[in-house]
Amino acid sequence: MKIRKMKENRTSSIIIHNVILGILAFIWLIPIVWLFFTSFSAESGINTNTFFPEKWSISHYIKLFHPDTVAQFPQWFMNTFVVAVVTCIISTLFVLMVAYATSVMRFPMRKPLMNIAVILNLFPGMLAMIAVYFVLKTFNLTNSYAGLIMVYSASSGLGYLIAKGFFDTVPRALCESARIDGCSEARIFFQMVIPLSRPIVVYTVISSFLVPWMDFVYAKMILNAGISSKYTVAIGLYKMLDKQLINNYFTQFCAGGVLVSIPISILFVIMQKFYVKGITGGAVKG
Amino acid sequence: MENQTKGAAAMVGGFFRALGSFFSGFGTAVAKGDIFVKLSLLWWGAGYVRRKQYVKAVIMTALEAAVILFTIFFAMDYVPKFGSLGTVRAEKVFNPQTMKSEFNDYDHSFMILLFSLFSFVVWFAAIIVLMKNTMNVYKLQLMDESGEHINTFKEDLVTYIGEKFHITLLTLPVLGVVVFTLVPILLLIFVAFTNYDQQHMPPSELFTWVGFTNFITLFGGGGLTATFGYSFVRVLGWTLVWALFATFTTYIGGILLSIMLNSPKTRLPKCWRTLFVVTIAVPQFVSLLLVRNFFADSGIVNTICKEIGLTGFLHDIGLVSTNNLIPFLSAPGWAHVMIILINIWIGVPYQMLIATGVLMNIPSDQLESAKVDGAKPFQIFVKITMPYMLFVTGPALVTDFVKNINNFNVIYLLTQDVYTTTNQALANSQATEVDLLVTWLFRLTQDYYNYKMASAIGIIVFIICAVFTLIAFNFMIKGDKEGTYQ
Repeated sequence: MKIRKMKENRTSSIIIHNVILGILAFIWLIPIVWLFFTSFSAESGINTNTFFPEKWSISHYIKLFHPDTVAQFPQWFMNTFVVAVVTCIISTLFVLMVAYATSVMRFPMRKPLMNIAVILNLFPGMLAMIAVYFVLKTFNLTNSYAGLIMVYSASSGLGYLIAKGFFDTVPRALCESARIDGCSEARIFFQMVIPLSRPIVVYTVISSFLVPWMDFVYAKMILNAGISSKYTVAIGLYKMLDKQLINNYFTQFCAGGVLVSIPISILFVIMQKFYVKGITGGAVKG
Repeated sequence: MENQTKGAAAMVGGFFRALGSFFSGFGTAVAKGDIFVKLSLLWWGAGYVRRKQYVKAVIMTALEAAVILFTIFFAMDYVPKFGSLGTVRAEKVFNPQTMKSEFNDYDHSFMILLFSLFSFVVWFAAIIVLMKNTMNVYKLQLMDESGEHINTFKEDLVTYIGEKFHITLLTLPVLGVVVFTLVPILLLIFVAFTNYDQQHMPPSELFTWVGFTNFITLFGGGGLTATFGYSFVRVLGWTLVWALFATFTTYIGGILLSIMLNSPKTRLPKCWRTLFVVTIAVPQFVSLLLVRNFFADSGIVNTICKEIGLTGFLHDIGLVSTNNLIPFLSAPGWAHVMIILINIWIGVPYQMLIATGVLMNIPSDQLESAKVDGAKPFQIFVKITMPYMLFVTGPALVTDFVKNINNFNVIYLLTQDVYTTTNQALANSQATEVDLLVTWLFRLTQDYYNYKMASAIGIIVFIICAVFTLIAFNFMIKGDKEGTYQ
């Protein structure tokens, strides 16, 4: 009798627990759901009367691929993609290089350099932003992708700590024996440590690829000439919501938002998986 | 994070020790080195010639020549004018030879400032190279005297993928940080002491040093027309309040959510987690711009609130001034609360991800024994989970606070173009009630070209961040508590 009561008690508390989670998830997803449904509205402006669109259509997705002077979504997507690929290559190299040097190698400047990196990491890059803008303007690098790529990737070496944490767990004995066999540090780096660290390499690649897709402020600052065909997705979508344009472009903004969010969300979830794998996998090996 | 356990003071101490040993090494080299080592101070290649490292000698000589040529042909155009930042205005002068009016040979204040700074950095680097070079040459002398083998150039090159591989690896990343983080910060400091603004915009106008004038304006001086002092206090106050609330609400919310998700009562935990992660996987410029229209004055939420009579009710109790709409993001007070609430929506899933990683590592024997002793879940949370979380994530909490002081995206994307201030004093200095210091300085540079004030604000933000991190770091990590949870 008592046991049955306890069981009932447990079941009901499980139900309450999951219902609370459901309510929370519901609140968290309302805006995302609204974005999704609004993008299928037949109207171009904001529907202020009902949550769901009154008339459904996919016309705004079609419009998105027929650029006009304001909305040039395919062009923006390509621009962002190019910037992201180059940024990704440079940042990944920088991060892995710094991580290997600080984790596997021992040299006198190691500790001081790491301390400086800790201090610099505490100060958000936002602060140096306007001065970076001055410098880029002097060298005519504003409104160019080269300037944007530099801003995204130049300081990326500072984000080395996660990769270093992983490299720390690669057994030292492996590196030592390779050294005794006459392996150069470069070969240990490329042929031993990198292949052993696949999860963290994938994590670094994805996270640096996502930076230009997620960023708003640097793009806004550097691409400030107002030429629509040069925008990245972030700036393009932001400009669609200008006071004069919002009534004609709001649904297109939603459609564009959905199209950008899908690949980014997928990459983001994959990245989280590899992040967990990197951390737990590393712990077992150590 | 081996550094964090040592505290800031030890870090600074270690830095000066390293600096000290560098200088003493240089001193010994100069004092005890032979004539070629001493000659290396003037001719960088001298020591290498003596030890028959000819390629290295050529490289060092070329480097020295490059520095000298740079000094004569580049730096000398700018550095001598550094004191005044230029005196010759840009003017159109009629040139009788070409029969056209042309610009005179004018001074460009900003170029002078930037390239002088650049020259200083190059010279500083050259001095380091010079000292390091002398030490290397002295090392070669010692090796020569004790009859050791001296590397050929080829052997030297091989060391860069061998025991000196770290130099190959670190050069470019460090250079990137120096050029895109350190140099800009120095430049920012310089600009804060000039009058570089819309009235003094090169190339047509000059700007010059003004001492502490900008800081005096910022702290309330500068006459009756300047309201920067008033705005600064208002914006700073909101920045701190915002950072405090934003950090703690998302931190605690994240821990609670992650405890709920990881509880054995949760069915399909992965599924729930993915639902929450999706909200942060959508780029902020999409989700925040969307939410801003969601809560707009004529937006969908306002329509619903009006239909269910909430707007009328709030009007009756005096929280809303009109009967038609709730000014979610367009009136002070309402906007402040909404921004913090929306930030919870954005920030909690992030903190949940971080907290999940930490919670998985809580020593389970502690939790088990607490349960056996009959502790209630709430007691376990307060007595075991929270102290453990605070210990592990304490430093991250401080970093989060500093990040929130500079949280540009949330404020800018939610309020830019939507929120207009009715406070004349704030409007005079281009600030609004919901601005953070960073969004204010961004607007000052991008829309009003008021670089001098923006730089001064930037430095203040910098100092605030530095003080908070140093105090908090020392406070939280004082004493060796590492063993407590191991």
